[in-house]
This record gives sequence, structure tokens and C-alpha cells, in this order.
Amino acid sequence: MEGAYDEIISDNPFFRDLKNEYTNLFQHCITQSWIICVPRVGILNTRVFTVEDFCAHILVPSDELPETHYSTLTEKQVTVTNKVITLEVTKGLPLQSHILFEETFYTEDFIKYKVWCIESALEPSTTTSDNVVTKDCLLSINDCIDLLWTQAAGRHVLDQIEQNVQIFLKKHSCLPIAISTLREAISELYTLCLQTTLQNRRLREKSKASKHILDNIKLAVESYMQHLLFESLFKTICTSCAYEDSHLNKKIRNMSDIQLRDLDIKKELYHAVPKAKQILSKIDTYSSVLEKILCLKQALNAINKNDNSYNVVLLTADDLLPVFVFLLIKSGLPNWYSQLTYMKEFRFSCVGKGDSDESAFLITTLEAVIEHIQSGALAGPPDPESHYYYDSNLTEENLQSNTQRRSSLTESISTSETNSREETLEYVFELIKANHTEQVQAILEKNQKHLKSIQQNEKSILKFALEESLNNNNDDDDDDDDDSTESEIYQKLCHPLCNCKKCWCKISKNLLKTSPTVTSRDSHGLTPLHVACIHGKAAIVEILLDMGADVNATDLNESIPLHYAASRGHQNALLLLLHSGADINKPNIDKNTPLHLAVNNGHMNCVKALIYFAEHSRKRIIVNCTNESGNTPLHLAAKWGYEGIARLLIENGAEPSRLNKHNKTAFDCAHNLKILQVLKSCTPNLYEYIHITSSDIKTLSCKSDNLEYLKLEKLSVKNSDYVNNPTKTIENLKRIERILQAISYGDVKLACFYLNINYDTFNENTNTVKESLCHPLCECQYCKRKSQSHVSDFDINFSDTNGFTALHYAARFGLEELCKILIHNKADVNCTNRKGQTPLHLAAIYNKTKVISLLLDNGANINAIDVAGNTPLHNASDMGNIGATKELIKYNPDISLLNASERSALDVAKKKVHLTIIDLIEKYSSKL
Amino acid sequence: MMTSAPSGTHNFKVVLLGEGCVGKTSLLLRYIEDKFNDKHLTTLQATFLNKKLNINGKRINLSIWDTAGQEKFHALGPIYYRNSNGAILVYDITDEDSFVKVKNWVKELKKMLGSDIVLIIAGNKIDLEHERTVPLEEAESYSTMVGAKHYYTSAKLNQGVEELFLDLTREMVDRFEQNSQADVSRTSRVLVVDDETPVQTSCCSGNRST
Ligand SMILES: Nc1nc2c(ncn2[C@@H]2O[C@H](COP(=O)(O)OP(=O)(O)OP(=O)(O)O)[C@@H](O)[C@H]2O)c(=O)[nH]1
Ligand SMILES: [Mg+2]
Ligand SMILES: [Zn+2]
Ligand SMILES: [Zn+2]
Repeated sequence: MEGAYDEIISDNPFFRDLKNEYTNLFQHCITQSWIICVPRVGILNTRVFTVEDFCAHILVPSDELPETHYSTLTEKQVTVTNKVITLEVTKGLPLQSHILFEETFYTEDFIKYKVWCIESALEPSTTTSDNVVTKDCLLSINDCIDLLWTQAAGRHVLDQIEQNVQIFLKKHSCLPIAISTLREAISELYTLCLQTTLQNRRLREKSKASKHILDNIKLAVESYMQHLLFESLFKTICTSCAYEDSHLNKKIRNMSDIQLRDLDIKKELYHAVPKAKQILSKIDTYSSVLEKILCLKQALNAINKNDNSYNVVLLTADDLLPVFVFLLIKSGLPNWYSQLTYMKEFRFSCVGKGDSDESAFLITTLEAVIEHIQSGALAGPPDPESHYYYDSNLTEENLQSNTQRRSSLTESISTSETNSREETLEYVFELIKANHTEQVQAILEKNQKHLKSIQQNEKSILKFALEESLNNNNDDDDDDDDDSTESEIYQKLCHPLCNCKKCWCKISKNLLKTSPTVTSRDSHGLTPLHVACIHGKAAIVEILLDMGADVNATDLNESIPLHYAASRGHQNALLLLLHSGADINKPNIDKNTPLHLAVNNGHMNCVKALIYFAEHSRKRIIVNCTNESGNTPLHLAAKWGYEGIARLLIENGAEPSRLNKHNKTAFDCAHNLKILQVLKSCTPNLYEYIHITSSDIKTLSCKSDNLEYLKLEKLSVKNSDYVNNPTKTIENLKRIERILQAISYGDVKLACFYLNINYDTFNENTNTVKESLCHPLCECQYCKRKSQSHVSDFDINFSDTNGFTALHYAARFGLEELCKILIHNKADVNCTNRKGQTPLHLAAIYNKTKVISLLLDNGANINAIDVAGNTPLHNASDMGNIGATKELIKYNPDISLLNASERSALDVAKKKVHLTIIDLIEKYSSKL
Repeated sequence: MMTSAPSGTHNFKVVLLGEGCVGKTSLLLRYIEDKFNDKHLTTLQATFLNKKLNINGKRINLSIWDTAGQEKFHALGPIYYRNSNGAILVYDITDEDSFVKVKNWVKELKKMLGSDIVLIIAGNKIDLEHERTVPLEEAESYSTMVGAKHYYTSAKLNQGVEELFLDLTREMVDRFEQNSQADVSRTSRVLVVDDETPVQTSCCSGNRST
């Protein structure tokens, strides 16, 4: 790993003295293949070493157990396990020392001997010098900051790096998009940062004394720089990798049903997959390359954790790749290619080492995995039923039961193949998959006829029987006849020709199993039409539809065949279904419509087909419908970076400003500037469509700038009018949606228009209070009418279904002017949304400093807590918003408040390593 | 005093290539595990291993990359072997197909990396000499023809493994020193794969190839 300990042994004074001053002893060691232990440089006080010192560090392998047991030349017993040397001492605890590395030496005449560089001396008496670096290995951004802070005895080095970065960002307000140019620019910055760092006297001297320290300092500088730059740097990388990412996403989305067994992954590794997946999907939370690489390493190490029975499963390259492929597919990250590019191109501290370290190996592995997915060498899940087996909370039991189910299925298929007499439903599914159109048709038609004839005799009973057999589970008969053969079934009947309900039930159940028709379903509720759509066999889809297949049959996921055709990108099948009356807006169990699925998997052809079909057949397709997580199709297109699809959706009425359940708009989901531009450029400027005529606008009701008065009035509004506010009609919901949308576009005028606030009057009157009410407390008709006009019409505090008011949005998007207008129109500054957030919370999250002070000046509660117990200061600390934190601190927040995770705002800042914020809060608290 | 000359250590990357089941992983484990009693192999230790050598005063940090032999991963080869200083092409002396595969690897590597890479061909599983199907003479003459050293190894009996890696390392050191003499301006090995690397004028790099 980077930062793993290394030193040049031949420069180590201990080794040098042994070699030069005690030549005989040294030569003897070599000829006897004894192991020489060398305490790492700097650990021993520089003094003259005695022969005893050397003898205590020479290990002679024992005869019986030469791998693990040794004795020193001073006759002490030594054991070695897991790279730790344990030395028995006469008194007290045994002495332990880590083996830092092994170096194999060859002499001129190729005699081999080994040297172990060890962490501490193998003598209890030796005193260690104080010039020791405590951290050997940098494992996080915290370690890096620690190193630079403690080694330089202060913050100044960190500050200087920060300053360099600030200047850099100011100079390059727009970073170059081409990776090579970008890399060059950042590399220059890194060199600069390193130079300024090494101007520090302490650091310079320490790094001169040890190459290891120098390497660590380089790495720390690089990581801290990356940490500071991350936001703008990574966005830029994402933009330049937008094309590759969206293509990769399409590939990954279409394989998202893939199963461990589809990838030939060793069974022994199954148990570790959920843990590894959890670790790996956090990779996007790390800002430095160092941490991202460590994340990869941890994920892979998790795979190899001992299984419960003490056996270490050795992971070879052949095992590693498929597991990693699986993890990548399931991780749900939209920008793997960008992640790779960042790791590959922006490591500067290790130049010259080439590809020779473990980090390079990890990055290359990631690259190989991406290449493997990209190349299309992987087919999607081979079996339709795969869809049902994957559970995002993979557990061992899950996996086991899956494999069991799988094997029983293959058995049934194989038996049906060998035994041609049995044309089971599974067999028909196999035929569909293999595109044997005629055979499918023949079997289904034959059975249908057969069934019809029986049906004519006993219609009602059969119907009952069919129903019974569909709900297998409420079959409380003592006989478990699922697997019984035909002859056995007849033996179980009251009489071979009996017609009673119970017997019918048994016969028809067997009949269904052996004689599938076009309406038959398997245990997942799949009909032949579903299966034909999964595999995109348009010819078979056509036949099945002709035979009367139910085009809107739902399986256990409440998915209709149209869902599958859309999600797998089978345009022909999809069009056939649509023309046969498939429900274009049908939500499945996750509330995904076919449009969601086509978009999610990047199937432009199907998205087009859905939209154009709807247009021509005058069916309405709901472009802005939301799924279980509140995502519209446009959210998905934005997230995965499908530019063409996003454009198409917007042209057909998709609204990028809709919020999903995480309060994210499609803009927020866009992870690169390219897709963001698509979203923005395609969004029509709503303002243009609406011609505001002065007659439509009611005059502004209140023009007072007197804040005290406003506060007073707000209280009274709360107590009286607020209670009888207009009922939440659909009309109002629609209206608030339009208002919020206008706000999200930053269109203050339009928002005012919808709110019935005269924007121009407001503007004129903020300066001149002339035209205001006769007197703040006046009750004359004119004033009364004026002050009530807006309340009666539309409540300014009305919220959408997620509890967002206009003021929330104005605060979130930083529209200071609109905030003023709203507050002047009696908007409640402390209203909360469903998550308990006030407008101040949102302003803190999105770092809208002016809005923050405006809200606080107008009575916003500085210590308001949301449902997670966070105050605005928590939010600002969490996001690293320096401006917001500064602003909030001016208003004396209570910093002792803990959120639901028992963290104060300071804790939050520390966790995210926002140094300036930590500083600000600490300074503030010391003043208290 | 202690001068930590940055160029004091050579960092070399070595890839193991060959068909599935010829014994790549076994060779690697045999070479590394040798003395260290470390039952606690972590994940990557089977796919990526480091070994520090000091040959006659020269420090070498070997990083050895195992690759997947399965055919479906063949296309990933270039990602793994780029920037390699050495490649060990392993075949199984009892399996003719695996030797054909080695020939293909040689062709591919020559095409992609030119003569920058040190090639070693290893006939593994010589403990199964009686089942040999790859003729001895053919293997050796082929190796000479393509300029690769040929070794016989048995991962099982630990024969020829250390010699193979040691000779490879020495060869890489020699090659490296030759190259840095031949072309002083080439500080690190630059693979001419992408067009962004500065184009070298023909007058200085013309007679660099050996
Ligand atoms: N008899 C004998 N068997 C060997 C030798 N080396 C490896 N094997 C066996 O050959 C089989 C394959 O060895 P691996 O090391 O996994 O081969 P590999 O080249 O890594 O294979 P892939 O990882 O699939 O590419 C194992 O069963 C080993 O025990 C050897 O020198 N002699
Ligand atoms: Mg292997
Ligand atoms: Zn009966
Ligand atoms: Zn009045």
C-alpha cells in the first residue's frame, strides 16, 4: 500500500556496522542462511553497537520448525506468526516486534540471505530515540492532516496549502475539461503545494532524514489538496467523462438483475458479497484518491474474510474479477468511469514508481472490470426468473434458497427435455427463449383445445379449480401432490371418473402443470407473453397476442409484459403490446412505469416508441409520474447521464424541478455539467409563455418595512386567519407546484404572479413607503380589503405534499429578493416541511448566506431542529459551508445541541474534516 | 551519511500470463511464500505480490501480477500487461494447447510492447515429465527464436522457481541500464500508446531499439 514502510537497508547504520565492522559474523550469517533482523532507521539511539546487540538480532532457524521457531545468537527463543516476532524474556511480558518487510539479498556469487526490517529492537534494554514517526501508514484524510499538523507543529502548512488551492480556484474559475490539460494544471498545483510544504523547516529536516517520511508527506499533501479541490475537480472530471459514464451506465442498468451464479462466482465467496458491496458503494463519499483506493482495498479484503469455518479462501485473479464485476453492477453509482479516471490520472505523489505498487494494481483491477462490463462480454441474466431472486439486502439464507430454487428448476427443465411427453410450462418458456415459434404455437393451441373441451363439460368447477391451483398456498390438503405423476393422481381420486370438486382440483392442477396454455403462469406469475417480452421475441409476442394472451397480465411484481419489453429495450415487442392495448402508464410494485424502466436502462428506442405512440394514439403518457422513491423518469435520465433521453423527456413536458423523496430535483441528480446543461437548455423559460397583464394582478397588500410591525402582525395571523386557511384543494396543490417550479428556475416575477403579489409595486415601494396603508393599524374599508386580498385568495404558507412552502424554495435557491417579498407578505419564517426543516435549514444546507441573515433578522429560530435533530448549524457544518457557518454564528446559536446521532455541530464538522468550520465553531465556543 | 537516493531502488512490474490451470498462481505462491510463515494471506496476496530483492547491491522492488487464465478475460490482457518490465509466459508441459497459447501471447506482447519487455517462457509441471506432450526441442528452439529465456519449473516440487525469478530480475536490471544509457532523456519508461505523450524527434530515438 502507499505509505507502507520502506527504507534502504544498506544505509541503515545498524546493518552497515554489522557488515563493515563485524565482517566475520556477517559472512557466517550468510553462509549459514541465518536471518538478520534490522531495527528500522531512527529507532535506536545512535551509539556504537556491540557484538551482543548484533547477536540478539540474528535468528537461527530451529531444526524441527524452521518456518516459525528460531533462537537468537544470545540463546533466546523466538517465534514468528503473522509477521510478528515474539521474543521470550526472563521477566515480564514477551517482547514483540512487527516485521516491516523482508528483503532477499544475493551476494556476488549468488549466495542468498534474508534481512527483516523490524519495527523495534529485540532487546528489552534498548531505549528508543524520540525521533520516531508514530503514523506509519496513512489511511484517511484525517491521518494526512494529522501528519502535516503534528510534524510541522501547527496549522500553517495546512493553511498554506489551502491558500494555494484558493488562489488556484480563483485563477481557474472554469477548469479545463480535457483530462490531460486538467491533469497538468493540477499537477502544477501539487508541485507548488509540495514546495511550500517543504519550506517548513521541521518537515524539510524530517523528510531528509527518512525517505519514508518524505513519501508520507507527499501523499498527505496530495490528499489534502484533493480534499480541498474535490468539489470542482471531480465535477469537471465527471463532465469530461460524461459520454463514457452514460454508456457504462446503460450497460450496467441492463445487467442490474444479474446474479452471483450468472457470473460463475465461487459459492464460498457468496457470504461476503453484501458486506463488500456496502463498503464499495461508499467510494463516492471519499474525496481523496488515497481514500478511494483504500475503499477498493477494503472491499476486496472483505471478500476474502474467513468463512465461518476458519478456512481462508484464497482469492485468485479468476475469482476476483467476477466478484468485482458483480459489486460494480450492484453498487448503484452513476459515475464509475469518472471515479476510475480520478484515481488513475490524479495520483501525483507516486510518480516514478510506475505500476509497481498495490494501488496501481487495485486501480488496474477496477479498470479491467469496467472494461469487461463495457466490452459486452457479459450477457445479461440468462434466465427470466433471475429478476426475482436478487434482493438488495442479500443475505446468506437468501442466496442459499435461491440456489435451491434454481437447481429444482433446472431439474424440471432437464426432465422435460428428456421426457418429451411432458410439455411443462418451463419447457414452453425454454422454447420461447430459443425462438421456436411453431412449436410454441402448436403446444399452446393443442392444450387450449383440450382444456376447452373439458371446460365445456364442467365450466364452473374448473373455474374454481383454476383459482384454487393459482393460490397454491391455501391448499390445506394432506396430500402434497405437486410432484406426483399422473398415475398417482388418479389413484388419489375418489374414483377415476369422479367429478367432485376436490378431484377436479387435483386433475386440473396436474393438467396445468403438464399442459400449459397461453394463460398459464409459473410460480412468479409469469405468462408466456411475459417471457416472450423478456427475451424480445417479437414473432412469438404476435402469436401469443393472436391466441388471446392477456396483454395486461401482471406477475408477482405487478409488472405487465410491457414493463419487460421496455426495460430490456425490445422496441418491436413493445410496439406490438402497445397496439394491442397495453396500459402505457401501469405502475409495477415499485411504482415504476414502463417509461421509468426504459429510461433507467437507457433504451432511447423504447422511450421514443412510448412517447410517439402515446402522441399518435392520443393516449396520455404521464411523463412526470413518480416511482416509489419519488423519482420521475427525468430524475433517472439525469442520474445516469443519458443526455438524448433527457432532452426527449423535457421536450415532452418533463419538469426538471420536481422533487423526489430525498428533496432532490433532476438538476441535483445530474452529476456532470453536460447533462446539467441539457436539463437547463431544454427547459423552456416559463416566463415567456405567460403574458402578465396588469389587470390580473392584485396590488400588494402590505408595504410596510417596519419589521416590528410585521412580527406583530404575523402573530395575529397565526392565531386567527391561519386556522381557517383555504382547504388543500387540488387546485391549490397545482398552484403551489407551479409556484415552486418558478422559484426553482429563479424566476421571481413569475413566482409573484402565481402568488398574486404585484412584483413591480413591491419594487417601487421598498424604497418609498408612501403608498402604504393609511396607518399600520388602520381598519378602514380600503385598507382592510387590501390587506386581506391575498389571504383570501391563496395562502402564502401553503405547502406542497412534501411540506415545502414558497419561502422554503426561495431560501433553498437563494432568492433573497423573493424571500423579502414573501416575508413582507406574512410568510411564516419558521414553517417546517415534512422533514422538519425550516427555510433556515435549507439556506444553511445550500450556503445562501444573505438569505440566512434575512431570515434570522425576521425572526427565524436559529436553533430550530428538524426530525433528525439537526440545527441549521449542523447542516452548515456537515456541508462544509463556511459562509453559512459564519453567518449563523453571528446569531448566537446554541452549539451544545446534539442531533439524533448524538453529535454536536462541531462533531459533525470534525467527522467531515472541515477545518475552517472546526476553527470557527471552536473560536465561537471559547468566546462564550 | 544516509542519502536516500531516489533512483536507488528499481521498481519492476512482472505479469504472469498463460492459459487456465497451467500453474501461474501456484508458481507465484511458491515463490513468495517460501519462508515467510504467513498463513494469513489477504485477498490481494494471491493476485498481487511484492518482493524486495537486493542483488549485488542493487535494490529491486518486484511487483508480480497474477492474471486470470480463463478465456473470457483474455481481452483484458492489455490492461494488465501495459507498463510491465517483464512477463512470464507459463505453459503446462503436458498440454500442447497451453504452449500454443504461449506463442499467441508472445506475438501479442511483441506487437504491443516491442522489445521493451523481458520475456520468459516457463514450462511448468516437470514433475509430470512422463506425461510430457510438448517436445523439449520445440519449446527451447522457439524460445531462442523469439529471444525469450526458457525455464523448466515445478511449482509442486519447488524446482526452478527461484532461479526463474532471479534471472528475470537480473535481465530486467540489465535491460533497464542499457536503455537508460542508450537514451538518457528517457527517465522512465514511456509507452507509446497514447498520442498525448510528447513526440520524440527521430534523431535522438532512432537507434534505440535493440
Ligand atoms: N503436478 C503439478 N501440478 C501443478 C504444478 N503447478 C500447478 N499445478 C496444479 O495445477 C492446477 C492449476 O494451478 P493454478 O496455479 O491454479 O493454475 P493457474 O495458471 O493459476 O490457473 P488459472 O488461475 O485458472 O489461470 C492446480 O491443481 C495445481 O495444483 C506443478 O508444478 N506440478
Ligand atoms: Mg490463477
Ligand atoms: Zn371425488
Ligand atoms: Zn385605511
